[in-house]
Amino acid sequence: MSETRTRTVRTDYLARVEGEGGMLVKMRGGRVTDVQLRIYEPPRFFEAFLRGRQFTEAPDITARICGICPVAYQMSSCLAMESLAGVEPAGQLRALRRLLYCGEWIESHTLHVYMLHAPDFLGLSSAVELAQTSPELVERALRLKKIGNDVMRVVGGREVHPINVRVGGWYSVPSKAQLQALVPDLEWALEASRETVRLVAGLDFPDFEQDVELVALDAGGEYPIERGARLVSSRGLDFPIDEFFDHVVEEHVEHSNALHAVLRGRGPYLVGPCARHALHGELLSPQARAAGEDVGLERVVRNPFRSIIVRAVELVHACDEALRLIASYEPPAEPALEVLPRAGVGHGASEAPRGVLYHRYRLADDGAILDAKIVPPTSQNQRSIEDDLFAFVTQNADLPDEELRLRCEQAIRNYDPCISCATHFLTLEVERS
Amino acid sequence: MTCCVIGVGNDLRGDDAVGLVVARALAGELDGTVRVLECEGEPVSLLAAWEGYDRAIVVDATQSGAAPGTIRRIAAHAGPLPASLSRSSTHLLGIADAIELARVLGRLPERTIVYGVEGASFAAGSELSEPAAAAADRVADAIRRELGGRD
Repeated sequence: MSETRTRTVRTDYLARVEGEGGMLVKMRGGRVTDVQLRIYEPPRFFEAFLRGRQFTEAPDITARICGICPVAYQMSSCLAMESLAGVEPAGQLRALRRLLYCGEWIESHTLHVYMLHAPDFLGLSSAVELAQTSPELVERALRLKKIGNDVMRVVGGREVHPINVRVGGWYSVPSKAQLQALVPDLEWALEASRETVRLVAGLDFPDFEQDVELVALDAGGEYPIERGARLVSSRGLDFPIDEFFDHVVEEHVEHSNALHAVLRGRGPYLVGPCARHALHGELLSPQARAAGEDVGLERVVRNPFRSIIVRAVELVHACDEALRLIASYEPPAEPALEVLPRAGVGHGASEAPRGVLYHRYRLADDGAILDAKIVPPTSQNQRSIEDDLFAFVTQNADLPDEELRLRCEQAIRNYDPCISCATHFLTLEVERS
Repeated sequence: MTCCVIGVGNDLRGDDAVGLVVARALAGELDGTVRVLECEGEPVSLLAAWEGYDRAIVVDATQSGAAPGTIRRIAAHAGPLPASLSRSSTHLLGIADAIELARVLGRLPERTIVYGVEGASFAAGSELSEPAAAAADRVADAIRRELGGRD
């Protein structure tokens, strides 16, 4: 190697709050030698912060980990506490949880599909440009997102960080009329979601496939959203969530403070919309299934760029499911079940918009949290994202840095990485030597 | 003129909470014509928060390299936020993007003022720094004055 040339391409990427994460691509003689995704901010602070707090506080504290998916954190923590106590909110108590979660899916998927991912495919630099060229699309997105917010406000008591969720159920439950009032908007949202599927299915997708083990919760006969007792994989794994750490190992990697989750003895895996769809697509609502079939969506999506279509199909499902839940809603007699503390270890998992979110808590007999462990979806996907980027950059090594950077960002966005719970990338560096 | 004051930030991230601290200082003391809101989530929700208001005052932490506690007041209705205050660019929607999105869509309040308070530390779990806490008081006063003389 006679000459070493290093070019650094910088981009502010995901940063509401500061962080120093980034992505580094190393190339030698046109060949990719290394791709490193540095993720600096797993929820370790919260795990420490939870120690010594009462088990009933976990939903409110963990909800603050993420501004986009507070419901996921609330649900996984409630489930963990309830499983330890041997209590299971069922019937309408559970239906309301599923409804709240649908609100979060609507909001999060809309934001990602329209505001973050679609501009990549359309060659636009941002949602602001999309608003200039196609204001009607952004208006549609804003209305969809607002409807997700409304569901969260009515069921959760507040749009961001719902305050109505508690271990055992709810502080108060909505009336039938309050939920009925959401119906006209949700019917509009259902139609808008179907249009979204048609819209994104018409985008141009790079020719790129990855074969990775897909993992999702199994919710026993329904599309997994707000709970799931087992985890299943595309290669035959099937285990109860309380065996999570028998099957998942968190490995320290040199270039990151974060831990990379891999399946023990098997390697990287992927959680999220493509995994849910591949493993449970037949459980989508009829409308959601039809929306996918109408645009020729493959049964197992292996091209991560096509995840945008799966997200849109899940958007249809969330709207359809919300309408179904509202139609069969009867206010439960009691807003919550009594949950008494007990010493031991509890596990809970739900399907955040971006994939499985696992919580584990060890409690003292007075209900004090002795130890908390939180594994967000982005930590689980991180290794697969790196593998993807490695293959993708190899395929596109000839592109100029700037275009390569944009393509890599698009590839990272395929996984809708958590903003505040797992990643704060600021820079992408391409080293060519 | 209807007016809202929106504090943006995250309570558990040191000086990122400064916008929320200002909002809480003002909540309850302003009369019914001014609505005080907190925005902890992603900034696109700002568009919904100020919908229907003629005038919005947004307070957020900044991270531009200036001295901690530095206060900037920007008339966002007149033009984009300076690049040094825009903490996101390519796609993630920060406040600057939310403002531009609103401008393009005709959803920006007629008068939109952004107060930026330079933070010292944004580490998870840290307390509000002294310079940021002092600046929060000054911003709250400035907003009281601004609203006192409202047109």
